[in-house]
Amino acid sequence: MTRVGTSVEVLREQAVRARRLVVDMAAQPTGCHLGGSLSVVDILVAAFDRAAEDDGTEVVLSKGHAAAALYAALHVSGRLAENPAPLYGLAGHHYTGHPSPAVPGVRFPTGSLGHGVPYAVGWALARRLSGGTGLGIAVTGDGELQEGLVWEACQVAAAQRLANLVVVVDRNGGQNDGLVADISPLPDLGARFAAFGFDVSEVDGHDIGAVRALLDGVGSRPHAVIAHTVKGKGVPPVEGKAGAHYVTIDAARAAKWKRMIR
Amino acid sequence: MSTVLSGRDAYRAELAELARHDPRLLCFEADLGGRKHPFAQEHPDRFFNLGIAEATMIDMAAALASAGYRPFVSTFAPFATLRAAESMKLSMGYMGAGVVVVAPYSGVSGAWFGTTHHCLEDLAVVQSFPGITIAAPHGEAETRAVIRAAAAGSGPVYVRTGRSAAAVSLPLDGEPPLVNWASSGSSDVCLVSVGEVGTELALEACARRPDLGHAHLCFVDHASLTAVASELRRSRYSRFVVVEEHRPAGGVASTLALLVPEVAVVGVNAGMTWPSEGGDHGEVLSGLGLDLAHVLAAV
Repeated sequence: MTRVGTSVEVLREQAVRARRLVVDMAAQPTGCHLGGSLSVVDILVAAFDRAAEDDGTEVVLSKGHAAAALYAALHVSGRLAENPAPLYGLAGHHYTGHPSPAVPGVRFPTGSLGHGVPYAVGWALARRLSGGTGLGIAVTGDGELQEGLVWEACQVAAAQRLANLVVVVDRNGGQNDGLVADISPLPDLGARFAAFGFDVSEVDGHDIGAVRALLDGVGSRPHAVIAHTVKGKGVPPVEGKAGAHYVTIDAARAAKWKRMIR
Repeated sequence: MSTVLSGRDAYRAELAELARHDPRLLCFEADLGGRKHPFAQEHPDRFFNLGIAEATMIDMAAALASAGYRPFVSTFAPFATLRAAESMKLSMGYMGAGVVVVAPYSGVSGAWFGTTHHCLEDLAVVQSFPGITIAAPHGEAETRAVIRAAAAGSGPVYVRTGRSAAAVSLPLDGEPPLVNWASSGSSDVCLVSVGEVGTELALEACARRPDLGHAHLCFVDHASLTAVASELRRSRYSRFVVVEEHRPAGGVASTLALLVPEVAVVGVNAGMTWPSEGGDHGEVLSGLGLDLAHVLAAV
């Protein structure tokens, strides 16, 4: 039975709450991967709403350095009861800078880039073998696509005709040391996935309703969703800035930035 | 006339038989399963040749294990434990995913295939990951027993085998014991054999020197060796000579030496040089100093 979908307004409100939690995590003593967490929030909120249909869909955050966004999205979607923000990075708690299955709602350890795609591919195969519905959804970064393992897994997914696999690329254009375009550019990204045998969609990664709609159906081939996003989205002082990759701020600045998030 | 199967063929045959009664069992290959894999012939809907994609194969298997299946994956030992080492660490070690990796071509069993196809490091690598059971069975019966135990279990397992050599296992009653006391001898020296080559060499040495004891080990992960150490400590021997087709660093001898410091533990192994010459398996082993003469010299 299909669940009555959450309205886009509700998802937007969840994304606002999640972004504020991410900023709170940047104000922890450790700081966090702020830019790439803020870029991926809308994608994760949409993906967890898709998973809430309870049909066996599994969401894997392959770009594990956006753990702050993952914890926040798990919390606002109701999958993680406690507020992770005050506990992020602290001894005695599992909210580390890259996620592990010790966190409720997290099935796979990610952060060493590339592994989340084959995990999702394996999940999609498991759903098909069991005769079940549901998707394997991998959320990757665009810098992450420089890892060979991503393409190895895409090759396998296409060969196995896993139509219930979705790879969502958070195309924020940044990576640790700068811009993807400067370090190892990805021209014709959609054509690359198409050449591997994927159906390809391009979408505004901050249009949460549009992203959510792309996760609805199962086509005839694996699906790559290239979600165009802005690093640091929602916090104007860091939006689009490569230097926003990892940020540590104080409580006063966090309060100011949270008020900007709408 | 019955034919004894090699380790890798015993694995394939046993898993295909077990899968008749266990729908959770899946079989994955990375293009090294051959054209007439018995599992593929008998259970094509549960057999997947994923192509040359070892890390993907192990990560995928972790997801399938997480979904309730019991996946067996197989590729040569150097590719499983080094090319896909991180997948083994994260998926099987840290996550504890119930994946079974069966790795032929361990040691230098690839012989004339050359350097890239040898793996004298797998025990060191896998033993350093937490929670993975490591089995180095000798012969068809013991390999089949290991596969049966792995299929019935739920944790991560690494099984190393050779290439095509076939051996008759030591007498075995059900599951391989922690220590299979093959012969007791009369001296205070005991050979400790690991794997196909180590065990064959120990048997040959005992035929020449009946005074030697012989303890055969099948499970050689750190947890198993900790239990083995207790049993060795209770025995009457004061010198153990470990025979293993592995480098000295990170092998069974080095682990046992730390676990049983009160007795002498020495190793006969493949040393620290790179095997780069051709020849058959025995010739490559001799070139590395792992042969009967070196075993007898070490006792």
